[in-house]
Amino acid sequence: MTVKKIGKSTFFIVVALIALFAASAITGFDYLYGDNTTTVIKGVDDIRLGIDIKGGVDVTFAPAGDYDATDEQLDAATEVIKTRLASLGINDNELYSDGKSDRIIVRFPWQAGESNFDPESAVKELGEMAELTFRKGTDTETDEEGNVTPVGDLVISGSDIESAGYTQQPDSYGNLEWVVTLKLNTDGTSKFGSATSELAGSTTPISIWMDSTMISAPTVNNAITTGNAVITGNFTSESAKRLADQINSGALPFKIETKSFKTISPTMGEGSLDAILLASSIAFAFIAVYMIVLYRIPGLVAVIALIGQIAGSIAAVSGWFGFQPGSTLTIPGIAGIILAVGMGVDANIITGERIKEELRSGKSLDAAIRVAYKRAFSAILDGNITNVIIAIVLMGAFGVPSSFFSKILNRTVFCMFGATAEGVVYSFGFTLLVGVICNFIFGVFFSRIMVTSLSKISGNRQLYGGDQK
Amino acid sequence: MSKKNSNATAPVTTGKVYNFCSKKKMILIIAIFIIVALIAGALIRGIKFAIEFKGGTMLTYSYTGDLNVDDVKTEVEKHIDSNVSVRRGESLDSDGYQITISFTTKDGLNADGQHEMTENLRAAFPDNELELFDSNDVSPSSGREFLLKCLVAMIFAAIIIIIYIAIRFSKIGGWSAGVCSIFALVHDILAALAVSIICGFEFNSNIVAVILTILGYSINNTIVIYDRIRENRTLMPKASLNELINVSCTQSLTRSIRTSITTISTMLIVTIVVIISGYTSLLSFSVPLMVGLISGTYSSLFVAPVTWSWWKGNDKGDKKDKKKDK
Repeated sequence: MTVKKIGKSTFFIVVALIALFAASAITGFDYLYGDNTTTVIKGVDDIRLGIDIKGGVDVTFAPAGDYDATDEQLDAATEVIKTRLASLGINDNELYSDGKSDRIIVRFPWQAGESNFDPESAVKELGEMAELTFRKGTDTETDEEGNVTPVGDLVISGSDIESAGYTQQPDSYGNLEWVVTLKLNTDGTSKFGSATSELAGSTTPISIWMDSTMISAPTVNNAITTGNAVITGNFTSESAKRLADQINSGALPFKIETKSFKTISPTMGEGSLDAILLASSIAFAFIAVYMIVLYRIPGLVAVIALIGQIAGSIAAVSGWFGFQPGSTLTIPGIAGIILAVGMGVDANIITGERIKEELRSGKSLDAAIRVAYKRAFSAILDGNITNVIIAIVLMGAFGVPSSFFSKILNRTVFCMFGATAEGVVYSFGFTLLVGVICNFIFGVFFSRIMVTSLSKISGNRQLYGGDQK
Repeated sequence: MSKKNSNATAPVTTGKVYNFCSKKKMILIIAIFIIVALIAGALIRGIKFAIEFKGGTMLTYSYTGDLNVDDVKTEVEKHIDSNVSVRRGESLDSDGYQITISFTTKDGLNADGQHEMTENLRAAFPDNELELFDSNDVSPSSGREFLLKCLVAMIFAAIIIIIYIAIRFSKIGGWSAGVCSIFALVHDILAALAVSIICGFEFNSNIVAVILTILGYSINNTIVIYDRIRENRTLMPKASLNELINVSCTQSLTRSIRTSITTISTMLIVTIVVIISGYTSLLSFSVPLMVGLISGTYSSLFVAPVTWSWWKGNDKGDKKDKKKDK
């Protein structure tokens, strides 16, 4: 950044850009086409609130007793929970599994409009392992309450299956395709053999059910009497793995139970969110007045920069930037934003004080601003970098097992611990990291441009904290 | 950075320079006071760990009509082989009351058990329309693991910060500076913990957020002072360490006070709003944090630089070291 290029109009351009950014980050932009709302830019309303604010359920499942599950078995169990969540209509959920500590973590907010939602029975149902059945045909029956149950003749059930896997094999044209392989035990082999002999070549499929959800319905090409079956049908590697996991889960040799289980009512959290938002608004108004009174022009610039910084934090949480998905906002997450804003205020105070000092030592306004930003920067840099360190350690230690920092730290420093995915602490780290980055962008870079540009408009030293000269 | 401009100006020392280094006694007294308060508080009031850390079960039900706390206790104890505590409270959102049942079992109460418990209570008190409001169940082993992981995370972050400071401030004797900044930080965290214990707040995830925030602010405060010392070292190569510290702290004093006013008043506003609106669960966040911030202001101006001066003073046999320092 060369200072020479900054003219009088630069200030107004920067302010306009920040205003535009802040407005779009807060309101977002969506349009209604027919009945579908398409969100183009995500705003405050699109922020996912954590269950500590919105209320919801946080459960950690693990195999009962001290059973040490293999990664395949855990994947299978996770797949069941995923299917269950979908069939319960809980689409807004977070689901993680950690093979090292054999834990499956599920979090979902209170379902909108469901005041009589019973979290206890929902969780109980999630943890029950599914009943897997293979049936002739795809017929179902619907009872008075609207529950759909499969009624086709039972071919085999979960206990007849030894294992399922997925692999690639050439199809009839010689192209490689993904298939699901089944290995049956002795009992299963004979039952499956007779059923497939009967259905081979017919149009009646053998349907695969998890509880009352049909997960696949392949037709039978040949009688299978060896106990090794292959299910084909336009699989991708992912869908083949998923079906194999689902089938395996029906044959899991362990029961999963809840290791920790938390439900938070929505009324509790929303009130505290309102309290925090009110307090934050009052505090911001106070800081704005305080900064402008103490530092005049650099103070005004600081307030504009802080608005930009807060908008930046909101944007990162809501997923305004296309390149990163949003993050769930929790109460400690809000504390992280407040901490970063505090760091931003501090950066501006350090620079404001420096400008004053340099002016008093007799420098010209231009030189004073230039030198002040330069000298203040090392303190701001070091202070903020230590916060980045803290943020990264937290995100690594308490993030979801598959996230970047988590992969690095959980395999080294935290190798003796299982993944906790403590979303509450993670959220703090996330907003702190984002806030610090925004602090550099707005509180250091843009505020320097703005102050420099304003100094071209008015050279009155008093407006920058200098003595009258 | 600033080194390049070293001969541009002498440091601005308008007015008098306060003698920060003469306050060794005061620092010692306050530090001892905090530790005594911490221990006394812990002995008198006891440290209450929330179930996130110690494991256990806490169930809150909302109900209507009259409900006898002792009856509920007896009913729950029929099913749970453990010490049960039952507390009654007013509902936050509307009319009606809430009852909170807490107990610790060896493996925690799983979802099945919790479901059963709700059914049993509903059967025992059919007229009270018991509704589950809130529940939290953590097995003792995962509670301990979470506590330990928090500790390891903080210690790990502290080590990285010491290394960072050691590298960035190598010019003024980095390692000792890093260790002293962590010492000041521990001072602030202890102060916040002491207040938490004395106020009778439970240690829950709020306290984790408090400690993390103090971690950030305290180190930042100390670094701002160190940065000034680093800069003044080049500007005043002949000054003694104590002079250097005094000048640097005096120069940073306005900034320290002004920044602290903003952060501390923010927490004060949060505290007041929380008290007025009744969401007192946030008090265990805002009050200790406020104390930590006050302590952070003091410790960055006194504890860190003064202990550091004392360390370096003991370190160097004679003036030889000054050359090394440079």
